[in-house]
Amino acid sequence: MEDHLIDKTLGYACAYTPLVLLDAAGCAPYRILPMSDCPDQAGQLLHDNLCPHVKRILDRAISRDLPDLAGIVLMNSCDAMRRLADAWRRVRTNDPVILLDLPATADDAAVAYFTGELSRLNDALSAWCGHAITSTDIAASVVRYNKLPPLFSRLSERLCQGQLSGGSARMQGLYNTAMTASFDESLSTLEQAVAEAQSKTPQDNGIPVFLFGNVLADPEVLQFFESCGARIIADDLCTGSRLFTTIEFDERRDGLAQIARSLLTRTPCARTFDPAQPLKMAEDIQARAHAAGAHGVIGQTIKFCDPYLDRLPAVRETLREAGIPLLLLEGDCSLRSIEQQRTRIEAFIEMLA
Amino acid sequence: MYQYFKDMAAGIETKILQDPDLPNPRKRYALETARLGGRLYSGNDTVAWCGIAVPFDLLNAMGMTSCFVEFVGAALAATGLADPFFEEAEQAGFVGDTCGYHRAVLGAARKKVMPEPDFLIASTCPCSGGVAVMENLAHLFNKELFVLNVPQENSAQSVAYLAGQIRDMAGFVARHTGKPLDEDKLRQAVENTNQARKLMQDMYQLAQNVPSPTDGRLLINFGLVMPLFCGTEAAVEIARAYKDEFTARIQRGISGVPDEKLRLLWVQNRIQFNNPLVELLQKEYQANIVSDELNDIYWDPIDPDDPYTGMARRAISIPLNGDIQGRIKHLQKLARAYKLDGAINPCNWGCRQGTGARGLISDGLKEIGVPVLNLEVDCVDRRNFSGGQLRTRLEAFIEMLASRPQAQ
Repeated sequence: MEDHLIDKTLGYACAYTPLVLLDAAGCAPYRILPMSDCPDQAGQLLHDNLCPHVKRILDRAISRDLPDLAGIVLMNSCDAMRRLADAWRRVRTNDPVILLDLPATADDAAVAYFTGELSRLNDALSAWCGHAITSTDIAASVVRYNKLPPLFSRLSERLCQGQLSGGSARMQGLYNTAMTASFDESLSTLEQAVAEAQSKTPQDNGIPVFLFGNVLADPEVLQFFESCGARIIADDLCTGSRLFTTIEFDERRDGLAQIARSLLTRTPCARTFDPAQPLKMAEDIQARAHAAGAHGVIGQTIKFCDPYLDRLPAVRETLREAGIPLLLLEGDCSLRSIEQQRTRIEAFIEMLA
Repeated sequence: MYQYFKDMAAGIETKILQDPDLPNPRKRYALETARLGGRLYSGNDTVAWCGIAVPFDLLNAMGMTSCFVEFVGAALAATGLADPFFEEAEQAGFVGDTCGYHRAVLGAARKKVMPEPDFLIASTCPCSGGVAVMENLAHLFNKELFVLNVPQENSAQSVAYLAGQIRDMAGFVARHTGKPLDEDKLRQAVENTNQARKLMQDMYQLAQNVPSPTDGRLLINFGLVMPLFCGTEAAVEIARAYKDEFTARIQRGISGVPDEKLRLLWVQNRIQFNNPLVELLQKEYQANIVSDELNDIYWDPIDPDDPYTGMARRAISIPLNGDIQGRIKHLQKLARAYKLDGAINPCNWGCRQGTGARGLISDGLKEIGVPVLNLEVDCVDRRNFSGGQLRTRLEAFIEMLASRPQAQ
């Protein structure tokens, strides 16, 4: 769908959202990031011990700190997201809302069911946007969105080698653009970044660190890590490297089924796993940190995120056995919550050095 | 633990035999719970640790000894033994912000107090934390894990998806036990489930009587634990005993709480460790917890010719599943049926799916004139229990309810 035809924006909040379908509907997907100065009002509806990511998104919804949305697409990725859907319906009574079920596994039956959920989304989007979404629309959107992952891959390589101007904060800014701006603007921004001349020598001499966790979208937090002496060379984050992956697509086959499989089998969030390999997430993090050449790992998770909190002990154990130092941080999506941990971060980096 | 459950069962059997003609519902229920505990720890049975929404009637028909893992957390809390297991879990990195049921289980498993299962079956309902714990246990025990993805929507597509998974689950169990599913046993189990369901439905109807024959203790954890016995004759006997007891009490004009003045609903889980709150409500205020959120029949009878579909519908219909509007409607239905004066939500610390929506639940009940007291309690971990504060809040709430015109 060409940008000039886009006249509607659809909100979303999870990396599992099928952006290509939102694009195929002629809408611009807009990730509602938990970055805002809105007053804290979500606590009226949701308990204090619920995910700050979700509560900040709800704060934005209550404060109308959002672009005009034709609707919001939420994924049933965790308890907090389910509660967000409930609360959203309460505070934004006129917004069309859909909550898609997301299986925790990626076997064939799960893929088939999730395909049905994508079909349900397609029907909803058609109704919201006033026109049917064809398989041709979907195929065209897949082609468009498949342009992004190779660009991010090239930028990630440069980041890893210390040759991306602006470092991880710049990279996060590019992710944020791709999550919130129109597709054409995102593509253009990424292409410009890739076209920039590469510096021959690494731009800083921080200690290479692998960063994993859930939501960490504020580029200032990345800058802060670097001010503590770290150089974030790769990540495994919901608001980072897990966002844009290539969809293997054959136009002769069921498009929705291919999108469903692609989403369920991409590098998983902690909430998706293979029952045959329990806690493999820990090994995956270790392997990625090792492959990136990281001297240490920082795990940054949002408070009250059960999918991560309950799997962190395994990550800690696996990295310990592999001899890779780990620093676990908890935050509430704000820079302030990370800054309070400066001493710990600096001590960790000094230890790595 | 085996000896503990064995002694407990023997003690209850002795007490039942002292008055064998009485219904003794709570004793029969406790006896079956003790027997299950004994089987889990006997070392002789084929054991499956499960999630809450797993169809236990199917597992019972297949000769499994199975139980949801939260049962262990509740049992440890009830016996006052949970503290070292919380400490073990926390030392291993499972933070105190997570669900107390799950921390207790993880600690018990790490300390090898939890029997090693033959395999595990997780269910994505009711919570994300429960699935994560099952993944941890599968890793710790190095046993195979089967996952039931329970959809949120009660649609034909969702029911068919879950029914297919339950069929696959039966195959998974048969592969482990070496015993294929006996269709006649499954049919009998479904018939037992349906019979128990009808008796429980009648019993809940009786509990709605004013004054209620129940007393705030008789049905603690009942709706949560009874599914473990579904498919067995024991479930039918327990349900019948409760129905008979309540019928007799109503006929004789016996109220569960003498001079019942206020009727309360308890939202989600009870506080599992010993605490004075229920007694305070009953003795000092004649306030009776007549209904618990999960003490209800929310599913249709299961068709013995199509059992997987019925089991799937049942799992999807659990009040904690689906969107909050469905849950609120269910709570409102209970409030009207039981003629409630108020509701208490313990807001179990660490429970995102249940406690997360406490504001929405409060609003939903207030819409129909039922005030809600939201507490801040970890229902399993007693270490931060502040009885004095809770007593003050309960007293203020009860006094407010008592002063309302409809209560006078």
